[in-house]
Amino acid sequence: MNEETVFRLIEKFENSNLVVLEFKNREFKLRLEKGIANLPASVSGENSVDEIVDKVAEKNKDETEKRDVNYQIITSPIVGTFYRAPAPDAPPFVEEGQKVKKGDTLCIIEAMKLMNQIEAEYDCTIVEILNENGAKVEYGTPLFKVILAE
Amino acid sequence: MFSSVFIPNRGEIAVRIIRTLRELGIESVVGYSTEDRNSLPVMLADRSVCIGPPESVKSYLNVGNIISAALISHCEAIHPGVGFLAESHSFATSVVKNGLIFIGPKPETLKELGNKIMARQIAMELGIPLTPGSEGSVDSLDEAVEVANEIGYPILLKAAAGGGGKGIRVVREERELPKLFSLVKKEAESAFGEGAIFVETFVKNPRHVEVQLLADRHGNIFVFGERDCTIQKNHQKVVEESPAVVLPPDIRIEMERDAKRLFERIGYIGAGTVEFLYSEGNYYFMEVNARIQVEHPVTEVVEGVDLIALQVLAAMGEDLNKYLGGDKGRLRREKGEGLHCIECRINALTPGKITHYVQPGGYGVRVDTHIFCGYEVSPYYDSMLAKLIVYGESRGEAITRMRRALLDLRIDGVKTNIPLLIEIVSSNKFLKNDYSTDFISYIEGGK
Repeated sequence: MNEETVFRLIEKFENSNLVVLEFKNREFKLRLEKGIANLPASVSGENSVDEIVDKVAEKNKDETEKRDVNYQIITSPIVGTFYRAPAPDAPPFVEEGQKVKKGDTLCIIEAMKLMNQIEAEYDCTIVEILNENGAKVEYGTPLFKVILAE
Repeated sequence: MFSSVFIPNRGEIAVRIIRTLRELGIESVVGYSTEDRNSLPVMLADRSVCIGPPESVKSYLNVGNIISAALISHCEAIHPGVGFLAESHSFATSVVKNGLIFIGPKPETLKELGNKIMARQIAMELGIPLTPGSEGSVDSLDEAVEVANEIGYPILLKAAAGGGGKGIRVVREERELPKLFSLVKKEAESAFGEGAIFVETFVKNPRHVEVQLLADRHGNIFVFGERDCTIQKNHQKVVEESPAVVLPPDIRIEMERDAKRLFERIGYIGAGTVEFLYSEGNYYFMEVNARIQVEHPVTEVVEGVDLIALQVLAAMGEDLNKYLGGDKGRLRREKGEGLHCIECRINALTPGKITHYVQPGGYGVRVDTHIFCGYEVSPYYDSMLAKLIVYGESRGEAITRMRRALLDLRIDGVKTNIPLLIEIVSSNKFLKNDYSTDFISYIEGGK
């Protein structure tokens, strides 16, 4: 059996509905097996079937998690300048991952020289800080992505 | 020249201001509510800042957000437009306190003129004719009854802090007074935060004639003619025209002279209008509108001036004689060559989406609007959709042109007052210039 024949066999097999093809003669044995249908080329080339199954399961789990998790975006109620800390050299009020309670100060928005403290309206965890320190914000500008506490 | 001006307003007036700022080479920054996110002013302005949710009190009346937005946008001045905070002396004070320029009168002027009782007192001191009425506010029903009996029915009950057609009722006889007295007081308190009311004679078949003025910071006061704004619905102007042909020339000259004296006495800066009632050869001072007005295009057409540009230049401290050398429009009119201009306010009667819009145009037609096909007319704000302004060599020509333009105009998707306007400008009484402030009731009454 020459190389070209093998390649043509693989091609035909791939384009067919067959799942397993075994070819045996006195000099040569070839077994072709199809894994999970419609896998992208890179996945089938690099990984074993088990790894592929694990990856898909992970992806499904993530999506399920996202559906269950209650994300909220905290937006700016006023127009001004967004500050993450009470003073330039002070540590920020909150960091990503931090749990906050209702009433905790999240940031300051300075408007007309007045420092307005923006407080959490509910217990939550800071997932992402959506604006830079010193950024100008308007009514409705997203500031924090949070998860509500259970 | 200012580099940047903030406009905390919406609709056609915001568009109007943006256009003039652009011609002057000034950056326009518009403050808008979330309801107006997709509006024409936001599309046209150089920059825009969201200042609040749909409710006016949280956005277009939100002093904190507005001033903060002007500051973070590095604007030097604020043009308040019409309505909203345009005549608020506390807003103007706040603007100035924060190092910005308020394109309009001084805060003190707004305070003086914002109270109609105070304004009447100033006019009285200057010997300007007033409608007979109470000397100050009437604080009790008994007082109101006394004044009413003195001057005779019918009378008007008016809120001292009123405006825009609110806080005003006609009382035809004494038995109506108790109910209407408490009604106006309540309306005044809730709409304007102040319950002071006063009594005025209800002038019979009055014409409402107002004089447009503009003053700079160098003591120059310019008089830009008059407008007849008699045709009103619920005390809100619907049709305006200039010149006010009903006025005998000597009366017109006296009114303009009195208006100028009033502005001199107050030390007025900026654009402003003095409103009078005219009836049977007599004129009476009513009030001052200390802002640019909705109907300003009528004067712009007849006098050949850009009033918004002059407001901005005056606010910048320019000597307006540089721009108004000589006596442009007045001379034209005195020679009998003046234009006649009529404006109709196109109002929506329902909110909704505009599904089809055909704008009139052509010779002698100007349209100031913020609407377009696909625009959502919001229930949150006033219902004016557009100002249709036409002009011609004579009043007759202007009327013919207005009729034509109203028939060209097409707005589908919302009900409008276009049919009423067509009736008005087609009526014999309008053509003969024989109408007064009850004209629309007269037209609608004939149904």
